Amino acid sequence: MKIDRRYFLSLGIGAAAGTALSPLPWKSMDDSSIWSQNWPWTPVPPDGEATYENSTCTLCPGGCGITVRKIDDRVIKIEGRKGHPVNDGGICSLGLSGAQLLYSPTRLNGPMIKVNGSFQKISWDEAISKIAEKLTDLRLQGKSHTVAAITGSPRGTVPNLFKRFLDVYGSPNFLYPSSFEDSYSHLAKKTHGQKALPGFDFENADYILSFGAGIIEGWGSPVRMFRANSNWKSRHIKLVQVEPRLSNTAAKSDKWLPIKPGTEAVLALGIAYVILRESLFDQGFINNRTDEFSAWREGVLETYHPARVAGITGIEQETINTIGREFARAKKPIALCGRGEGRTSEGIGEIAAIQALNALVGSIGIRGGAFAVPEPDYIKWPEFALDETAADGLNQKRIDGAGSNQYPDTDSLLHRLPRAILSGKGEPVNAILIANANPCYTLPDTQTVIKALKKIPFKVSFSTYMDETAALSDLILPNHSYLERYEDVPVTWSLAKSLIGLTIPVVSPQLNTKNTGDVIISIAKAMKGSISDAFPWKNYTDCLKTTLGKYWNPLQNNGYMKISNYNPPEKMTKFVFQVPDKTFPVDPEGDEKVLPLILIPNDSMRLSAGSTGSPPFLMKTVSDTVLKDNDTLVQVNPNTAKKYGLKDGGYALLKTPRGFKKVKIYLSQGIGEGVISFPRGLGHTAYDKYLADKGVNFNELIGPVEDPASGLDVAWGIRASLTKV
Amino acid sequence: MSTEDENIKEVEAVEPAEDESSRLKSENPGNGIAGMTVLFFTIGFAASLIVGWIVFPNLLYSKKEQPIDFNHVMHMEEVDDGCESCHFFREDGTYSGVPKLDQCIDCHEEIQGDSRDEAVFVEEYISKGKEVPWLIYSKQPDCVFFSHSAHVRLAKMDCVTCHGPIGESTTLKTYEYNRITGYSRDIWGRNPENMLGLKKNTWDRMKMNDCAECHMEETGRKSSVSTHKDGCFVCHK
Amino acid sequence: MTQEHRKAKKFGMVIDLDKCTGCGSCMVACMAENNVPFRENETDKLKSITWMRVYKLTNGKPYPKEEICYLPRPCMHCEGHKGHSPCVTVCPAIATDYDMDTGIVSQIPTRCFGCRYCMAACPYHARYFNWWDPVWPEGMEKSLSPNVSPRMRGVVEKCTFCFHRYQLALDKAYAEERRELEEHEYQTSCTQACPSDAITFGDLLNKNHAVYKLKKSTNAFRLLEKLGTNPKIYYLSSREWVRRAGDNYRPGEGTGKIKSHH
Repeated sequence: MKIDRRYFLSLGIGAAAGTALSPLPWKSMDDSSIWSQNWPWTPVPPDGEATYENSTCTLCPGGCGITVRKIDDRVIKIEGRKGHPVNDGGICSLGLSGAQLLYSPTRLNGPMIKVNGSFQKISWDEAISKIAEKLTDLRLQGKSHTVAAITGSPRGTVPNLFKRFLDVYGSPNFLYPSSFEDSYSHLAKKTHGQKALPGFDFENADYILSFGAGIIEGWGSPVRMFRANSNWKSRHIKLVQVEPRLSNTAAKSDKWLPIKPGTEAVLALGIAYVILRESLFDQGFINNRTDEFSAWREGVLETYHPARVAGITGIEQETINTIGREFARAKKPIALCGRGEGRTSEGIGEIAAIQALNALVGSIGIRGGAFAVPEPDYIKWPEFALDETAADGLNQKRIDGAGSNQYPDTDSLLHRLPRAILSGKGEPVNAILIANANPCYTLPDTQTVIKALKKIPFKVSFSTYMDETAALSDLILPNHSYLERYEDVPVTWSLAKSLIGLTIPVVSPQLNTKNTGDVIISIAKAMKGSISDAFPWKNYTDCLKTTLGKYWNPLQNNGYMKISNYNPPEKMTKFVFQVPDKTFPVDPEGDEKVLPLILIPNDSMRLSAGSTGSPPFLMKTVSDTVLKDNDTLVQVNPNTAKKYGLKDGGYALLKTPRGFKKVKIYLSQGIGEGVISFPRGLGHTAYDKYLADKGVNFNELIGPVEDPASGLDVAWGIRASLTKV
Repeated sequence: MSTEDENIKEVEAVEPAEDESSRLKSENPGNGIAGMTVLFFTIGFAASLIVGWIVFPNLLYSKKEQPIDFNHVMHMEEVDDGCESCHFFREDGTYSGVPKLDQCIDCHEEIQGDSRDEAVFVEEYISKGKEVPWLIYSKQPDCVFFSHSAHVRLAKMDCVTCHGPIGESTTLKTYEYNRITGYSRDIWGRNPENMLGLKKNTWDRMKMNDCAECHMEETGRKSSVSTHKDGCFVCHK
Repeated sequence: MTQEHRKAKKFGMVIDLDKCTGCGSCMVACMAENNVPFRENETDKLKSITWMRVYKLTNGKPYPKEEICYLPRPCMHCEGHKGHSPCVTVCPAIATDYDMDTGIVSQIPTRCFGCRYCMAACPYHARYFNWWDPVWPEGMEKSLSPNVSPRMRGVVEKCTFCFHRYQLALDKAYAEERRELEEHEYQTSCTQACPSDAITFGDLLNKNHAVYKLKKSTNAFRLLEKLGTNPKIYYLSSREWVRRAGDNYRPGEGTGKIKSHH
């Protein structure tokens, strides 16, 4: 039989008909569609029991309460904790991204040592004995004072363990980055006779005069400030923002005073002039609570006539008069400063001028006013004995000149460390311990910082992440993430009443990390003798429990604790007027003839400019007028752009005395002519592909400018030029 | 396994087709070419039916054994609260599903009885603190939000309505999964008539249409603008 | 067993632009809640998936008269005419739908086949297409929530008013033998996170819910109302230029009943 085309067709038709009547085509189609809707490579998050745990956020100094949502043992979301005195349920975008930090591939897994330029894993025991040996060695050579430590803040048990370690080891070089808090603290020493932190009762104030403080850009405890700002809007409280740029705070204020950069304190004294001239000040407060009023008044009336101030600041005389009257006539006005996030310090003269406004209207130490808040003093550890080496070492001069005759009231001048290392003879610093800080990113003149740190033969990082500083270190002893450890969080930033928060281990450590507190205690114990004796605790948890004593249980149950009901002693409600000298406006670095523009930084809640690198979610919120592809955009007034032939979105070379970078131009009417603004928080070289090599680090373009009174770095901007490329 | 059963159904399903072909044949008597055509048609037809109804389902599904066996009847005798003794609702109204070790450990810290599965359970899982990787017959795709609370608490439905009389089983049936989708065969149905969209019992099939049908009957909601049925987000996420 | 119907809801939002500071918390709260993917370069904002996006508006005046207003933009959950919102009408796959019981425009990514008609139809740019498969860095998939299904390449996604939170809240209510929820039991992630309390969420039909009263403010407006989209997001602003930016007027048309407070 010949099988011809007809039979073949018939077979085919039969097969087609049979197939159509079988489940094969229909079921395959259905299954294929189900398959294509559920690709096996699309992750399916496992379900489980949802639980919530309360803890404290440490990603900035704000100290917000957080509620961590977990599914079984996974952290899936971080929310603001309802009822928490700082943030009451609110939370910022960085805090919300916390789970991405916990599970970040940039986290360090286990201790590592650098061998021939690359890191190798070692055990914890080895790492701790390596440090102990090295430090013991230096001590035996009488070089204990050449060991330094940098911590993110001077407060809390872990920084104090570092300080105690250095003390008993024999080094005075305990360093930390300074902020506007340090300037206030300095002023408090002059006016109250003791150091104190700035506190403001914003919740009860009824007129806010802000000299550049980025109230909704991360200043103080950010979420608390957001809540306060929102509350002002509901109560129709007036917010006056003095700032060269239309920042978010300026945009949200009721009155924006676009001031010439750096002249804020001059304006404050111009406003003071109006209040003095029109006798609008609080006579009772002046008489009973202040000193040096007449001398100060004379100084102000002599130099700060509104007409002259208008010329310096660019704010019209009539406006100065109006603001002066409004401020003095408000029931509970507050004047504050601390530019942007308040990350940089301000001159003592400037702070004194602005704080004097609060004194003039009696807004010090009362409800709705400014407070001088004493440092939290819950850390009371037993005295320790210094051996001879330690006593000798401690007597040596600090490397940064803080506490010297020139700056007796300054505790730390971290910005001076790089110069001291580079210009010092021999090896001024032989070893450095760095915890909870990323100086190779956050310090001004970053390239010099990196150069200086490279000169230190033994650098130890305690970072949780592979940040710029960790990458440069010789030894890394990674800390637990804040969601895996116990630690006390003293919250001071601008709160009228300080608070202690507690982080709790919400999840067990995901990686081979150790609490830095434990590591310091272990190193001390390994070094034996008086050093070991100064650390009588079994481990860090034991230390924390002992330190907090009766506070431990309430803290564990509640997550936070207000430090007693603080009633300020009388001296803390007084004010000593500081006769204005000629220390401000502080000139920005650079030659005006070559560098005709002024470059100022800007802070934003959408970028983390501190030691925590922005997680991927945060980077997603960054506007394309701040970062486009890998280019930073510099905010320029169209008139400035015209003058230098720059186009919106075009490239330009940005030059300052500290360096030059290629940037893109963002034309905006939110900034005046001759001033340009640059976002902080970009230009990381470490971390992962979501953050690294994106944009330019502002700190590389600016250098420190010192306040003559305190030695603190008070650079608020720098001279610059823009050239089309 | 119901292969044999399917074979019988197979023949029944093929029968009408054969009638059809013989009818065609009778219309063209004496035509050899036509006869051959019909024959080839029938061969193709029959072969594809066999492929479609027997070979294909066998190829489509693969079998997996549960890590250990489980006797529901024996456990039901031990507990007071029926299914919910082990498959319970959490305080937040979510459903716990298959029990975790924590729930078993009270009784099974030491080996109970002499079954091999029990020994494996205690030695391999309990003592190592490792969860049993149970294969779940009723597992729905990730895009499905199934609320046990709504069905059991609000609508007062019995577990059996969807899960069948699994509580009366003394041993776990073999888990079959679809090679294309990866999902359990129980979703689509194990019996041949399920392939045609028919079912004897409410629990025979648990595809979207089955959910929608019941929702239509029981809730009568027509809130979806596009489908005039229940809204998509009622069961999807 | 037929159950009596739960009273129909119309969930909506009132966003106070006077309070909004543009901080971006709502955006991240949304991403973290809804397993929103991220990529190496997120600066192409047409391709960057942000169910909730905060736009920056300016009044267009020269320095120093410039004013800024931030405008958070979730999905508007348009009701259109009887639930025929622009996107629902054009979807050939019934992947997006309007639910008369909740007033929520649903999006079922697994049903979507990626034609993007809905994106073309949406006047608010509230819909996003997955041009790539989502990839989480190793280990970070641990942070994914099981309550929201991660999407795949080739489908459209958008704000769902955190519908899974409604599902979970109902689960709890049913377990407690309740059918109705309290206002606070169902709130979106962005509402909850906003540190300025600028976002209020609730049932626009329920007189006891905050949104009911707020939407009647003389400062209230909706975006592009003239298109007949009938959106369920209301904005409040005391500034006239902001209200005008809502673009509810044809050229030459007055601002109507909205009064200026300045």
